[in-house]
Amino acid sequence: MLGVGIQGAQLEERGFFRKLDWNFILPLLVLQVIGIINLYSATHGFGSDSTDRLFISQLFWLLKGWIVFLIVTLIDYQFFIRLAYVIYGLNLLALIAVIFVGKVALGAQRWLDLGFFAYQPSESMKLCIILVLARHLSQRSFADGMGIKDLLLPLGAVIGVPFLITAEQPDLGTAMMLLIIGSSILFFVKIRRSILVALAVLGIFSATGAWFFGLRDYQKHRIYTFLDPNQDPRGKGYNSIQSRIAVGSGQVFGKGFRKGTQSQLEFLPERHTDFIYSVLSEEFGFVGSMFTLSIFGLLFFTMMRIAQHARDKAGAIITVGVMAALFWHMLINVGMVIGLLPIVGVPLPLLSYGGSNMLTTMAALGMVSSVSYRKYLF
Amino acid sequence: MSYLPGNELEVKEYQPRFRLLYLIMGITFGVFFIRLWYLQVLQGEELRAFSEQNSIKESKIPAPRGIIYDRNGEVLVENLPGFQVTLSPQYVGNLTETAEALGAALNMSPQQIEGIVQRSRRVNGPFRAVRIKENLSREEIFNIEILKQDYTGIDIKETVLRSYPLRENGAQFFGYVSEISKRQLPRLNERYADRNIRFQQGDIIGTTGLEEVYDLDLRGKDGISVSQVDAHGREAIGDPMGLLGSMGGVTPATPGQNIVLTIDKDIQEAAWQAFQSLGRIGGAVAMKANGEILAWVSAPSFDPNEFATGIAPDLWRKLINDPDKPLRNKPIQDHNAPGSTFKPLIALAALAEGAISPNTIVSCPGALRFGSRTYHDHLRGGHGNLNVMQAIERSSNVFFYKMGIALGIDPMFRYCDQLGIGRRTGIELPRERTGLMPSSAWKKANIGEEWQPGENLSVAIGQGFVLTNPLQLAVAYNAIGTEGKVVRPFVVKRVLGPDNKVLREFEPEVLRDLNSPEAQLKIKPEHYRAVKEGLRRVVNGEAGTARASKLKYIEMAGKTGTSQVMGFSADQIYASCEARPKHQRHHGWFIGYAPADKPEIAFGVLAEHACHGSSGAAPIAKAMVAAYVAKYRPEWLERDVHKEARERAPRPSEANADANTAPTQLPEGPIEGE
Repeated sequence: MLGVGIQGAQLEERGFFRKLDWNFILPLLVLQVIGIINLYSATHGFGSDSTDRLFISQLFWLLKGWIVFLIVTLIDYQFFIRLAYVIYGLNLLALIAVIFVGKVALGAQRWLDLGFFAYQPSESMKLCIILVLARHLSQRSFADGMGIKDLLLPLGAVIGVPFLITAEQPDLGTAMMLLIIGSSILFFVKIRRSILVALAVLGIFSATGAWFFGLRDYQKHRIYTFLDPNQDPRGKGYNSIQSRIAVGSGQVFGKGFRKGTQSQLEFLPERHTDFIYSVLSEEFGFVGSMFTLSIFGLLFFTMMRIAQHARDKAGAIITVGVMAALFWHMLINVGMVIGLLPIVGVPLPLLSYGGSNMLTTMAALGMVSSVSYRKYLF
Repeated sequence: MSYLPGNELEVKEYQPRFRLLYLIMGITFGVFFIRLWYLQVLQGEELRAFSEQNSIKESKIPAPRGIIYDRNGEVLVENLPGFQVTLSPQYVGNLTETAEALGAALNMSPQQIEGIVQRSRRVNGPFRAVRIKENLSREEIFNIEILKQDYTGIDIKETVLRSYPLRENGAQFFGYVSEISKRQLPRLNERYADRNIRFQQGDIIGTTGLEEVYDLDLRGKDGISVSQVDAHGREAIGDPMGLLGSMGGVTPATPGQNIVLTIDKDIQEAAWQAFQSLGRIGGAVAMKANGEILAWVSAPSFDPNEFATGIAPDLWRKLINDPDKPLRNKPIQDHNAPGSTFKPLIALAALAEGAISPNTIVSCPGALRFGSRTYHDHLRGGHGNLNVMQAIERSSNVFFYKMGIALGIDPMFRYCDQLGIGRRTGIELPRERTGLMPSSAWKKANIGEEWQPGENLSVAIGQGFVLTNPLQLAVAYNAIGTEGKVVRPFVVKRVLGPDNKVLREFEPEVLRDLNSPEAQLKIKPEHYRAVKEGLRRVVNGEAGTARASKLKYIEMAGKTGTSQVMGFSADQIYASCEARPKHQRHHGWFIGYAPADKPEIAFGVLAEHACHGSSGAAPIAKAMVAAYVAKYRPEWLERDVHKEARERAPRPSEANADANTAPTQLPEGPIEGE
């Protein structure tokens, strides 16, 4: 390797692989390996010897995910920041297009059929909101916290418009995710305390309003069920209880790979997507569950370091935004599996089966990797 | 590692905020740690025991379908309790051994059982219980109860079996039920999405006939029983872990709604008996003058009970390949040329349009030359001079050839169309065929040719393009008998809720009144009377074609007809129909109503390949009318209507007809008698 000194500082040109942040990539890899092991168990019941189609296709999604990750790493994130409004605008158009030509699945229109791939614009909107907020907020300074006027554009327009469109589809889960991710960034940048209090009050009011005017029956039903699982013993309440049994029965060391009776029998629904964590907890016990959570913790810790040492504000905000997205997904999914939160259809990032989710997650993480990569000037 | 220090300054503004993020992370992982510790370490042992020995399992309690009653409350379709044995693949230790033991107990081969299980695993996945045999005998249940001690995964479940006590009789009419297949499921759920009905694979659904049309009423709501089962699928008693809470126990099934039909079981049985004793195939309906269907038979038939447990593939193949079409609902799904049964409709049109009056005498030789062709009568020597009543009585072809020439196609179309030929009757049964009443416009649009004058002759005797079915003709004759009321035939009187409370009631409905200005027809009461008198004589007159089916105590009115199955040519007319191979023989029709003066019951009978309407179809109509009188007009059985008639003065119309006056020349048309 060729060492070149510039302006007296001791700087070195580093190779691509040395510039990659391995502290960041290793936890990612470990989580994905855990995911693959669990998916194998979840899709291969007793006595089935042929390899499952879902399992194979997830392997391909992983490969594609890493290709996207590496490509995004190599592109300077400032390129995305410059194009932020364009990308955001296009994504918004796609979101509107869903209303007119979208595919209906499970009673809601969420998908655009691109022929080779069912594209869900509300998923990539998460990343677009992060980029636009990074661009907008990094050009300003809010040492005393943001006031009402400062919040108007980012909260009212950048987050508000896609939130309303997505909620109308109706896909309240993803809409809430957009709101939570966007708000987390604003919270990170700092909001005045008086505004936070006011927003909390407003939130309570709008939630009340939504309850009476905005929510569909099945969405209300979901909330009822969480408040009282016994109201719907055959639906979500059943899933919640079964998941709790699965997790608890894992005890300290678990029942062993492919030996989870709850998961292998028909008691756990959606065990390859939303309930993958209960398969893990049942088969690998407290040790396995905590190990996986620790890896998540490690991942968040490295991301925080990357944000702290980012080249500029935009890089820090991107990293915090992606971390918020990952964190909230994990929090809601694990919380639901271990019976702390209501049953909502949120996947566990990096572990659940799903190609669309894997691609957006890896693209977002690629951007964080790009921030890390460029903390070196050369 | 080396950072570029200068740039950190920009991010420095955020540094205090990171402390907040570390705090949030710390709290979250702390909460998760505590919760996992609680579930997996503190509660772990209990939950492990629960998951290994007990699991919560839901099972479906099938709802009994509604019962179908006849008009007097006699059961026509019901449910019978039964027992079936199932195998849950995930609980089975060794499939081969279990299959051998089960095979011995059920008198089935072990290979057959393994085949059923493997097929189900392929289609339904490994977690669905597989039905091995239904309708278990007491002895089989006993044997299996013993087997359950040694083998896991075997279950005996109570089932509700649809039962059709009339068996083949009316099978196409009542329809049958079958299990929803995996392929049907998405389509059904989409169709019923707005009604909040979600079907599951294996649910029972009405597939044809009334079972299909009234499926939503007849199907109840399945109940659910939630219980704990151990790792071998055996049910546990109570709720040892307290996990079930209010989830445990049973949500009972809601039975379906019962349905009361207009059908009369006795008339239905009489009609079927008549078909059976005569060895006839075809279709027959009887309805009250207000449209209530009393009997509905299609022969040959099948036993719908065979479908309730899933029909055997070879039986199904036999049914769909049978040339006599047992699955077809013939009164509305077979359509044929009406033949001579069409003549009264043409007579009515000719009278109303003024082509003839009730007293007009027409010369009816054995054949008629029209254009370059000779049109024959079925009687070689001809009938001599006839008025319209005599022409109907004797079924003269030449008389109606002349009517066809005098009327032309479009006036014939107007009358027959209003009478319901070529229209759906509006009955609730599925897949009713329309039939066809041609017009010059129809031919132009569909065949692209001009209407030929010669075709008027064919249509006038119910040949050519005309296609109809027993129900359409019965409705049309009923309209003649009631002097103008075209009713909508219907079969369901009432839908009953729980406690037999009436939820819906269906009233008779007159679809069209032929005498109303909207019909734009010119039928006068004397025109109906003349045609009705002709129809009365067909059964009761000296020369009537159906006089063999005369009843002593009631005057039936009707008309016979034949419909050529194979090509129609002059030489074949006189060839013996019976000599032909069965499937080339003519169809026989008999359509009519009774009593002749004031109809209470109308009927339409198609006897396929029976050669004649008189001997083939009329006896079936006679049997239905006799059953009706015996049940609803028993006081009539003592009468002798013919003696009464002879004692009365000769009817005015008869007096005219007997005064053998010279035939009146018809106004137009190049008519040439032979």
